[in-house]
Amino acid sequence: MTVTKEPSRRSTVPEAPVGAPVKPGKEQPRTMRELRIAREGKKRTATKPLENPLREGLRLERMPEPFAFVLFGGTGDLAHRKVIPALYQLWRTNLLPHEYMLIAVGRRPYTDDKFRAEIRASLDTFSRVLPVDEEAWEGFAQRLTYHQGNFADASSYDRLTVLLEKVQQKEGTRGNCLFYLATHASDFPEIVAQLGRVGLDHEMHGGGWRRVIIEKPFGRDLDSATRLNREVLKVFREKQVYRIDHYLGKETVRNLLVFRFGNGIFEPVWNRRYVDHVQITVAESIGVEGRGAFYEETGASRDFLQNHLIQLLSLVAMEPPASFDADALRDEKVKVVRAIPPPPKTQVMRDVVRGQYGRGWVAAEEVPGYRQEPDVDPHSETETFIAARFEIDDWRWADVPFYLRTGKRLPKRASEIAIQFKEVPHRLFRDATGDPEPNLLAMRIQPDEGILLRFGAKVPGLGIDVRTVNMDFTYGSSFSVDSPDAYETLILDALLGDASLFTRADEVEEAWGIVTPIIDAWADSPPPDFPNYEAGSWGPEPADLLLARDGRRWRRI
Amino acid sequence: MVEQTVRGGATVTVPPDVDIGGLIIDSRPQKPGEPVLRWSSRAHSIAEIDRELARMWAIPKLVTQIDGVEARHIAARTSVMNLVVVARRPEIGEHAAATIQQLTGRHPSRTLIVSTGDPDGPTWINAMVQAHCMLPGEDAPETCAEMIYLTAGGDAGRHLGAIVEPLLVHDLPVTLWWPGEQHFQMAIAQGLLKITDRLVVDGSSWSGDGLQHVRDMARAMDQARLAVFDFALVRQSRWREAIASVFDMPECLPYIRSIRRVAVAYATHDPTGTPGTTNVVKPIYHAAWLASRLEMRVVKPLTPVATPASRATRQAGAGRPRHAATHRGLSAVLHDGHAEVAVVIRPIASPMPSGTTLRVELLAERRGSELRADVTAEAETVRVRVWEDGVELLERLFRSARRTEVDLLAEAIEAPGADPVAAGAIRMAAAMVGG
Repeated sequence: MTVTKEPSRRSTVPEAPVGAPVKPGKEQPRTMRELRIAREGKKRTATKPLENPLREGLRLERMPEPFAFVLFGGTGDLAHRKVIPALYQLWRTNLLPHEYMLIAVGRRPYTDDKFRAEIRASLDTFSRVLPVDEEAWEGFAQRLTYHQGNFADASSYDRLTVLLEKVQQKEGTRGNCLFYLATHASDFPEIVAQLGRVGLDHEMHGGGWRRVIIEKPFGRDLDSATRLNREVLKVFREKQVYRIDHYLGKETVRNLLVFRFGNGIFEPVWNRRYVDHVQITVAESIGVEGRGAFYEETGASRDFLQNHLIQLLSLVAMEPPASFDADALRDEKVKVVRAIPPPPKTQVMRDVVRGQYGRGWVAAEEVPGYRQEPDVDPHSETETFIAARFEIDDWRWADVPFYLRTGKRLPKRASEIAIQFKEVPHRLFRDATGDPEPNLLAMRIQPDEGILLRFGAKVPGLGIDVRTVNMDFTYGSSFSVDSPDAYETLILDALLGDASLFTRADEVEEAWGIVTPIIDAWADSPPPDFPNYEAGSWGPEPADLLLARDGRRWRRI
Repeated sequence: MVEQTVRGGATVTVPPDVDIGGLIIDSRPQKPGEPVLRWSSRAHSIAEIDRELARMWAIPKLVTQIDGVEARHIAARTSVMNLVVVARRPEIGEHAAATIQQLTGRHPSRTLIVSTGDPDGPTWINAMVQAHCMLPGEDAPETCAEMIYLTAGGDAGRHLGAIVEPLLVHDLPVTLWWPGEQHFQMAIAQGLLKITDRLVVDGSSWSGDGLQHVRDMARAMDQARLAVFDFALVRQSRWREAIASVFDMPECLPYIRSIRRVAVAYATHDPTGTPGTTNVVKPIYHAAWLASRLEMRVVKPLTPVATPASRATRQAGAGRPRHAATHRGLSAVLHDGHAEVAVVIRPIASPMPSGTTLRVELLAERRGSELRADVTAEAETVRVRVWEDGVELLERLFRSARRTEVDLLAEAIEAPGADPVAAGAIRMAAAMVGG
């Protein structure tokens, strides 16, 4: 067996290839002194690339380079509710450069003026800050243009190329282009291929970046996700692709990283020795909101488990990255997902619970069952609730269960990560009237973003009564300033070329590697007995049993 | 339970042993984001202030009812920081209070607005203790911040540090906002700076050219290990972004260590522009920021540039020059480790606010080529133009809405620890003015 020595990554001195003859008369330096003298005599071969020292301390002020923002699906719901309001907000707060243009691509035969009028109406409803600032709107509207085109029509992309050249000349966008695919996922491959055909993926040597933002779902299962990644990566390089999961742009999710790695006191207890289990809940009180047809094809497992919940899990469980660099962070996240073995069918039947809501009452209103929603099959087997128990097979988390649940038409909208610590090893206060509850650290993502720490405290009095108390940090009471919307954060990051909070191809595929066996196991099983939970309840009874059999229960949120 | 009528007109049902004097409950519905005055009482000693604060926070533990309906009551006190405001005159205190109240959700936990009365009379303290509360959102609990207006006369007024210290919320950082003129070397300032973590000033509001204050502030910053937040420096952040963007271009980056001249033009209302008549803190900060980031050192501090007018004055003895030419400002010589760098701070008669930066010009030379960058202020934008050997490389506009005092104070309150870039710029500014 041949063993080749790996060159040290830290060495700045070029090493001679293994077996290369040493030049006669030139002895290699051996001692530290010889090495120093040898280096003094010659210039370093590898010089550090120049950095701009004026950039230090300007992170928050940093403005993206001039760019054109090409929004596919510009007349769609996502564009009107989220993407364009986020861009408007960035513009209003002076975070976009003067030299930028928004080109909305859609099938509808709109003029620029009609499109602007529609956007204005949307902003009047969906803008985070109302009323709309007239002066900011004026500048924003001037930079809106509409390009009519069918996504499958090649000529539309030829015209788009001409338009982008014109915009570059007129607005000085310097060839920088961000393509945002706010369309149905089935359109992604076609759009990406067409962009490649007309050469709009090409980055130029003298500047001029090209990036593409893709909205979830990233495929329907492992095969389709792999296919989609392959199609996208035929045209764009991975570093040009930004797969957006808006959950990662939420303030508390980003704070999770600060909380874990910016504080010294939590990391020592963040492991199997002290943590009993972890619960991650993403609860929605709404139903399918007129998206019955879409939801029929996705269900809770594809809509939430594969992306939001597994992303949250990986942020909670990941090892500290060496730097806050996008790939360093994503490397650590993907390691966590890889450490969750794909569940075999027996495990799916034991550790995964699915549910579908029936008629019930939510927030004092009677609501129909899922099967009675418009565009939903009256015999639908689509799950609107999923609860699952996963284990991460690594040194830090071995034997610590992670319970994940998400569902629609639950009693309230609430998302939370709860780290339940183990009980104290020895009960010292035996005379206390009640057992102190184990410590808990809960990070609320919505509503009332914040962090809660639960611990025991003595009740004032002569005896030793221990009562559980909460130390509660809410963003509202400490920094009750508006948090930016997740889309604002993520779009700005993409414009600045920071992919830390976007999902990489391998993360997507690894997550599907966990979820696809669950979907397959259900497909091979008898039809479920749906509906199995009442709207306004916390899901089907087996979800409670999932924890009860381990002697635990879901946190009451 | 007994009924008591509180200020604001509402009737509150509370246990019989509770005195609710000071509590104000307005029966009108409260809007999220709008602060309301929830408590106001007077005190005349530190002990009385402490007592009032304790009383204020005892009330929320009660079940209160307003006109028979359960009312929202104080649920939580913010716990972010102490803000101490030194108001030399009552109108400065009122202005500061109005600014702080506009910060609503960004309220610090406890604000102390301190001013001094007659220093020669007997010692006295007069304080008003208030709680301003707001609902961050429809379904969020009400959170409150405390505001204490405190005036001290006689000997007490000369030892504000000793009055302020016992009134700070322990374990929370202390920010000292000192609007207007400061005298960093005075005992009163020394006492307050000792208990301060962050000093907030506006260097552009200092009288004269402001240069002596820059020197003193830099010294105080290092002596007391203060984080300094100078509005004058913070207002320039968009300028800094614009200047930094020049060197983001790969073709311009190699010039960054070859800057040979930095010229900053500022507005003056004095037609002669004679040094000392206009506050030049802002223009000097531009040059100081650049010099500190590029690790330059001062060879010759800023001195007035000899102008034809002043030469004419010298030649004519005490006589007045025939044509009062605008003064050519100040110049300094720095060194970047390779060569000297000329710095010129030049006044331009302009209707813009006095001391406002109008233009920053950079000249860099490298291997026989020349890079010139010109950064100018327009109404709401900063324009950058760059030429290499006379050929235009770049023209960009940076939107730069003017930030109000409320915006700046909010930023000062929320900024994390010391900013090494700001500290470097302030130290360099002090060195450039001969500190």
